[in-house]
Amino acid sequence: MTEPGAARKVLVACIGNPDRGDDGIGALVAEKLAGMLAAGAALLVRSGDMFSLIEDCAGFDALVCVDAAAPMGVPGRIHRIDLATGELPGELLAASTHGFGLADAIGLARSLACAPPDIVICGIEGSCFDAGAPMTPEIAAAAEEAAALVADEVRRLQERAEG
Amino acid sequence: MASKTIKVDYLTRVEGEGALNLEISGGRVTSAQLKIFEPPRFFEAFLRGRSYAEVPDIVARICGICPIAYQMSAVHAIESAFGASPGGEIRVLRRLIYCGEWIASHALHVAMLHAPDFLGFPDAIQMAREHGDIVRNGLALKKAGNGLMRVLGGREIHPVSVKAGGFHRVPTRSELAPMAETLKRARDIAVDLVRWTAGLPFPEFEQDYEFVALRHPGEYPFNEGRLVSSRGIDIAIADYETEFEERQVAHSTALHSVVKRRGAYHVGPLARYALNFDLLPGHVQALAREAGLGPVCRNPFQSIIVRAIEIVYACDEALRLIADYEPPAEAAVKLEPCESTGFGCTEAPRGICWHRYEFDADGTIRRVRIVPPTSQNQPSIEADLMAVAGTIVDRTDDEIRHRCEQTIRNYDPCISCSTHFLKLSIRRS
Repeated sequence: MTEPGAARKVLVACIGNPDRGDDGIGALVAEKLAGMLAAGAALLVRSGDMFSLIEDCAGFDALVCVDAAAPMGVPGRIHRIDLATGELPGELLAASTHGFGLADAIGLARSLACAPPDIVICGIEGSCFDAGAPMTPEIAAAAEEAAALVADEVRRLQERAEG
Repeated sequence: MASKTIKVDYLTRVEGEGALNLEISGGRVTSAQLKIFEPPRFFEAFLRGRSYAEVPDIVARICGICPIAYQMSAVHAIESAFGASPGGEIRVLRRLIYCGEWIASHALHVAMLHAPDFLGFPDAIQMAREHGDIVRNGLALKKAGNGLMRVLGGREIHPVSVKAGGFHRVPTRSELAPMAETLKRARDIAVDLVRWTAGLPFPEFEQDYEFVALRHPGEYPFNEGRLVSSRGIDIAIADYETEFEERQVAHSTALHSVVKRRGAYHVGPLARYALNFDLLPGHVQALAREAGLGPVCRNPFQSIIVRAIEIVYACDEALRLIADYEPPAEAAVKLEPCESTGFGCTEAPRGICWHRYEFDADGTIRRVRIVPPTSQNQPSIEADLMAVAGTIVDRTDDEIRHRCEQTIRNYDPCISCSTHFLKLSIRRS
């Protein structure tokens, strides 16, 4: 973890499979984040193995996950979930194209006591997750707003006091 | 006793989507159907008209857990069709990348998917609260296997370096060297995992399986060998269709494979182990005996031990291959396409993965047949379900359901490959 007084270490993990329609929103937000993240923040893009995220986030003070969310009626709507104050609704992130999704990875990291103390989820409601499908226009249109929210979140988390 | 149907609507901790219907009448199990409702994926159809050169990248997409198996069976089939046989260090690297897939796939299944069944946890997340060391070790093993696949294949999921004739790029010795230290640690973890799995509570249950696996004269099989069975089959891989056939069944979108003359057969770790025990190094055989296994294991629940043993073997084999590795002068041999038919069969983590390709003179694919391991095991899974459920018909539906799910997970089924997930219904009458 970070020395007292230094900026806290924040990881941004953009998740999803670009070959499965709206599941590619994580990778698209990562593209938009180029040059936007505060110095010292790390950015990674994960398209498959959620187990890797458990090790990826070890040693960080905070994690921001960007992932497609299950359809809930408003494609492109951005959901911010701060796990410091709320629970991760499994059904919201149930649209993962893999059996072991983001909620499972965070749950396992917490069980193993290796999850960062602060975790914020940026979930963008998808519509179509078919293999080979193009991204829904409403989802793609939400990428820039999501990137700006993530960049702000990173600055806030870097400055958030421990404890 | 009244009739009863027990249903598992979605089986968890398997790759893919399926369901199980169990019918119990008069105190005995009358039907057990593993229903695969994942739609067919048509890989064999959309490979038609493609170039042979595209095959490794396309078939890798059949499975995110065992892409190497599909790639390896495909490249061997293509090469046999075009009269090529890359040997030397290309053969070594193929064996090495397969070690990576076995380690990663088996570690995931043993520590994260199958172990919770024996300990009474619903999933690895709950299990990690009391057995964090086991889950951490499973993750470390998986990472080691993924590392091998990344170094050799460019990335761990759907690797991109494999090509017909060899590799697009081969690693230098210095790129492989750091993997050796990781694999030494992984090997120690795997040995501990064998001892830990040996102490799990196993149901008293054995089946008289016909085991089918590859058999090579000098090595535990990955890429090469004859197809042999515990009931006398001993054929070249090209003759697979003379002994085996796939049948459609009404309740599943996956085909069921059978031995034509006899019926169900069993592929995967138990089969490989039973048919190739003598080819395991002495210290691995000794470890198996220490774990309570003889040269043949017919208790499918103990497949978790055999998988752990195969992780040890794969780590040892990878270390041996890395120690002796010298990069080849050419990353791939040149292929000359011709009108031909080729066959490939390799040992996926879940068992033999058989491919046949027919080519036009310019290497365009005319016809393809791919037989994945899970479709070969489906009749055995259903036979196990009948037998296992038959011993516990008087128990509660929840107990029956749990034991049936565990029985299915004994096979580490990859339902996505065979056509995905389980619904269990038990009907009593």
